[in-house]
Amino acid sequence: MSLNSWTTTLQKYAGKLQANRYLRSVSNGLMSSLPFLIIGAFATLFSSIAWEPYQNFIAPVKDLLGIVTTFTTNIIAVYAVFLIGYRLAESFEKDPVTPGLISLASFLVLTPLAKFDGVSALPLQWLGAQGLFVSIIVGLLASRFYVWIVDRNWTIKMPAGVPPTVAKTFVGLIPAIIVVIAALIISALFQLTSFETIHAFIYSYLQIPLQGLGGSLGGLIIALFVMQTLWLFGIHGAIVVMAVMQPIWISLDLQNLEAFEAGAELPNIIGMGFWSYSANFAPMLGLILLLAFRAKTKQYRQIGKLGLPGAFFGIHEPIVFGIPLVLNPVLAIPYIFTPIICVIIAYICTTAGILPPPNGVYPAFGTPIFASGLILGSIRIALFQLILIPICMLIYYPFFKVLDKQGLKNEKNQEEEEAVAVN
Amino acid sequence: MKQITLICAAGMSTSMLVERMKQAANQKGIEVEIRAIANSEFKKYADQTDILLLGPQISYMFDEFKSQYEPKGIKVNVINSVDYGMMNGEKVLLEAIA
Repeated sequence: MSLNSWTTTLQKYAGKLQANRYLRSVSNGLMSSLPFLIIGAFATLFSSIAWEPYQNFIAPVKDLLGIVTTFTTNIIAVYAVFLIGYRLAESFEKDPVTPGLISLASFLVLTPLAKFDGVSALPLQWLGAQGLFVSIIVGLLASRFYVWIVDRNWTIKMPAGVPPTVAKTFVGLIPAIIVVIAALIISALFQLTSFETIHAFIYSYLQIPLQGLGGSLGGLIIALFVMQTLWLFGIHGAIVVMAVMQPIWISLDLQNLEAFEAGAELPNIIGMGFWSYSANFAPMLGLILLLAFRAKTKQYRQIGKLGLPGAFFGIHEPIVFGIPLVLNPVLAIPYIFTPIICVIIAYICTTAGILPPPNGVYPAFGTPIFASGLILGSIRIALFQLILIPICMLIYYPFFKVLDKQGLKNEKNQEEEEAVAVN
Repeated sequence: MKQITLICAAGMSTSMLVERMKQAANQKGIEVEIRAIANSEFKKYADQTDILLLGPQISYMFDEFKSQYEPKGIKVNVINSVDYGMMNGEKVLLEAIA
């Protein structure tokens, strides 16, 4: 198969995966919950800066900051289930508010109430990171079931003359009843099992194994390998891979954030934060710095300078398409392996205790290098991000030399041709 | 006035190109409105778009956007990847409105 037909085939599959309605609803739903993840994370950060004068200063309001975290990141599954149900119904071109709320109602029906001394309580345990996978599944199923019922026209039809807003409310009524009853039956069935709730079942049989796979170094390396290979074919590797990995990595990060807030040991190393700080900046910066300041080829120098500002913020496109990196046989190997080497170094440093695990704050896209390390909890991570740059430059150097030599030769040939043409 | 919308994964790298396209438009005295957004947001801007340009990294979405929006009178194209990489705002602009 020729390279071009490979590209087309890969693009087709990557496109299908990324365009998949369900994956897209999950990732768009989670993206919509980002403002709350970020608010909660910052409330946690502000309340836990380990500096005594600061702690004394904020002592009177520390509990208030805790409330913010409790009702944002710690109940993220509640937001996620609504947003995922909303996004899925939207993709079917249905009015999304009712199905979103039906997803939320179903999720709550499936979450058992706890009773203490006559007070009923929702267990927060299942509304945060540990409930995230249930919220994804329930969000998708409840909303899909709603769409299925509406498509069969099992709805109350209002006679002509009833205002459309009123009619719209009644459209959702029968589907809502059916979906919530279904959730109730599932909830009752789980009470008969030793798990007692769908939460305990999904958590131990789906979430923990998936977190084990996605949270392992091997899982991260495979994800990076796929991501970088897709970029080499001109496809936005990160959005394709994130469609699958994001729910797993976010749930791992949230567990860290909960532990961080409680002042406990951070349970996970890998997550969105780890990937972002170790793989997203230094490899690109290493190559760009070489291009901008060491290239003899004019074109490469220019591209390097063009791409430099963006690279500090984790934006790679100018380089990917400018050199181009796409289908570039010289740069393919370092492009795939430099970020993998970076994450391995970061992983070893973390297990050895040189670097702390990331605190679980979501690394919002566009946060620059160094700042992202600081937000993830440590000046050590921020400095480590900088130390990775010369390492990446070293890895790229021999490949860069070959590239530059070829580029220079091409440029000379072109100049000669132009000179001939002028004569 | 023509309205051009550029889309990519997050609308970040295209926004760098948009700045250069605006400069080129100013210099040449071309009256256009140009914006960059994430591909998932496009639906909201469809009514305000005459020309839709996709970043090359999401060129695999071209067929989807073309079949959905060309019947509505929006011209859909993928930005040339070398012009994109070199952030050649002038060339992208001139090709878009040609």
